Amino acid sequence: MHTQYVARMIAALAFLGPLAPSQEPVKPPLNPRIITATRQVAQFSALEKQLLQAIQKKDQAALEVLVSDDFTISMPNADPLAGDEWMEQVMGKDYSLKSFVVRQFWATDLGDSAMVVFDRSLQATYKGKPDSGEFFVVDLWKKSGDSWKLVNRCVTKVSSPAASKPLHRPTGKQ
Amino acid sequence: MEIFFGKTKLVLVFLFVILAVNFTVAQKPLAGNGAQNMEPTGEGHSVRPAAPGSFAVVTGNGINYNGGPVMKGNPVPVYVIWYGNWNGTGSNTAATRTAIEHFFATIGNSAIEKVNSTYGDTTGNVSGNVSFGGSTIVSSTTNLTDTSLRSTVGNAISSRALPNDPNGVYFVLTSSNINETSGFCTQYCGFHTHATLSGSDIKYSFVGNVDRCPSGCEIQTTGPNSAATGQGGIDGMANVISHELEETISDPDLNAWFDSNGQENGDKCNFNFGATSTCNSNGLCTAAGTSAKAKFNQTFGNHDYMLQQNWRNSGGGACAQHL
Repeated sequence: MHTQYVARMIAALAFLGPLAPSQEPVKPPLNPRIITATRQVAQFSALEKQLLQAIQKKDQAALEVLVSDDFTISMPNADPLAGDEWMEQVMGKDYSLKSFVVRQFWATDLGDSAMVVFDRSLQATYKGKPDSGEFFVVDLWKKSGDSWKLVNRCVTKVSSPAASKPLHRPTGKQ
Repeated sequence: MEIFFGKTKLVLVFLFVILAVNFTVAQKPLAGNGAQNMEPTGEGHSVRPAAPGSFAVVTGNGINYNGGPVMKGNPVPVYVIWYGNWNGTGSNTAATRTAIEHFFATIGNSAIEKVNSTYGDTTGNVSGNVSFGGSTIVSSTTNLTDTSLRSTVGNAISSRALPNDPNGVYFVLTSSNINETSGFCTQYCGFHTHATLSGSDIKYSFVGNVDRCPSGCEIQTTGPNSAATGQGGIDGMANVISHELEETISDPDLNAWFDSNGQENGDKCNFNFGATSTCNSNGLCTAAGTSAKAKFNQTFGNHDYMLQQNWRNSGGGACAQHL
């Protein structure tokens, strides 16, 4: 009886199996093309680069201009990281950002705010150890007077440096 | 008992095979998305010196030659596929089609187009001349994907609605009710690429009616050619079209001219217009453009246009409206 039960379970799994992956979106291929970026993509890719350059140069004043007081970072399997804690980490001596590449920008204009999605490659060290990788970033920017401030970031590390692509290889999509 | 377990083993083996097949099939949609699909076909940064007796490629102006061909036609023919509903309202009208086709017919040898003649390959330079080669209409309410876009161009050629011309540039221009789901309005206003269609290396570009997202893709909501206030689609499209046209001619196979950041000549001056003039009642602008005091920076074919500058591959390199 037990064997029959196991056989029935496997049978059920076999026929339900194909349904499981269909719950996930099928990832479309990234086709080779060279784009005319939207004005928002041009604007926010410049702001994201300014933000990374401020970290690279340990320029806290420049970073504070770009980040709101209530800035938080959300990551998988972790409590949100408060903006001041994050700033302490990236401005501290232990963290060194050697180089970065941002690409594959998407920007959705929401009026006084904008959602920006992009891929980011970092070459960095923390306490002398490699802290590099490829990241998928979703940022929420909010208009503050004539400028924009980063209010929330969701970031996921998608691969280790070994699996990441070479940094300065042009794709036409930067 | 033996028979029972024998049958059960047979069933288990059968089920295991089904499971294995299911899981293999389930992986297929993701397996085709390898990183190798993410790059343009051509890469590399080295400047290719001219071979003895061939044409010397001019470099050192802030943009790199990567070895591929440019389009040297004199003129380069342009073909248009009007996709969506171009007999609609707003800027989705026959008047817009006529105006854009006039734009293609007259931009050849204009001041902005001549900037492209600073680009070349080992056999010669871009002429700066462009002609309008014809158009076809594909009426549809279905959004485009990159795949269906390619099919749309392929079908226009295979059905002989448009000629099979590897030396031409094909534009798919969509009405504002049509989305290109790979990122129109959120990532891009247009793009260019190439593919083998009907046995030829076909260069094609997508440009949507930017009235779909004025804040993302238009510099002004009422332009010098607007039929009415707030219908900036024609001028916004003309701007994106000129960007894609210059890039396609100077980098048709994505392996000729781009800088170390992957930016082509048009990208380096995206939404950079330089000096502009204002429409007035004595000029060529429409009544709506004049009323809105629309800006323009190019005049050809008896029309004013607001077109982004193009990167000049001479004199150290710069965004330029003319040579």
